[in-house]
Amino acid sequence: MKEFYKNISDALAMLDGLEKDLNIRHLTPNELKVFYTVIVRSECNNYGSNISDIVVNSGMSRSTVYKTLRKLSQEGIIQLHQSEEDGRESLVILNN
Amino acid sequence: MKNFLTLSITSFVFFTVLWVLWHFLDSHVIFLEGKGTLFYLPHAARVLCIIYFGYRAIPAIYLGELVGPIVLNPDLYSFSTLLPSFISVMSVPFALILLNTLGLTLGETRSSPLNRRNYKHIFLITFISAGFNALVVNLYMSRNNLSFPNAITDIELVLQFFIGDLLGTIIVFTFLALLLIPVLRQARN
Repeated sequence: MKEFYKNISDALAMLDGLEKDLNIRHLTPNELKVFYTVIVRSECNNYGSNISDIVVNSGMSRSTVYKTLRKLSQEGIIQLHQSEEDGRESLVILNN
Repeated sequence: MKNFLTLSITSFVFFTVLWVLWHFLDSHVIFLEGKGTLFYLPHAARVLCIIYFGYRAIPAIYLGELVGPIVLNPDLYSFSTLLPSFISVMSVPFALILLNTLGLTLGETRSSPLNRRNYKHIFLITFISAGFNALVVNLYMSRNNLSFPNAITDIELVLQFFIGDLLGTIIVFTFLALLLIPVLRQARN
């Protein structure tokens, strides 16, 4: 069984290297969840997704989502823009 | 034959899960419908299992290749998949043997010409095996006047197979790296 775990461990080491080079290692699981939600929502809407959609789709609280989006914005991963249709709503746009 | 059963079950389950997921996306997701050859997810299972478990994983992967089209969806192909599936499974050993012949032996340390802990080296094996699979499977299909559903066996299909195996493997590796690794890290802490 030891050899089996050694093989799995080597495979995980390979994936670990890939994750490191993808450069999103510093994100916490909550941040990753919000990030994935933003990516999925961006697929559906090219003009950015509103925060309420992200809250609903991520299944996390509004305050956690806001805090996380602020961090992602500070890191230059996303941009936050005020919606032209609804001034109270912010649009989240993925940076290229 | 140590751990043969464990690694066989792991390889078979991993391949079958990816095959079912791929088949679902190919036949039920509107914008991906019929485009399955462009993202063949199970190639990742061939690569990962044969590289990390060795040639002992071949029977389980081959069984997985057969179970999908024969048991889970018997109407999928109009021809016997026994030989094309075998060629596809053997694409990874072919890549390993070719690289070994060129002096690039697969190892697990930094000094190994090919390090199985380095994803770039794994992608090189994926690239060669995808090329072999695309060429030989389609050569077999054209020599026997066979074709996959909604496809004509020609050079375009060879290219589609090649891209599909590469893209499918990249998607699975990226998915595992982005989801599995953070979860395991969190569980360890």
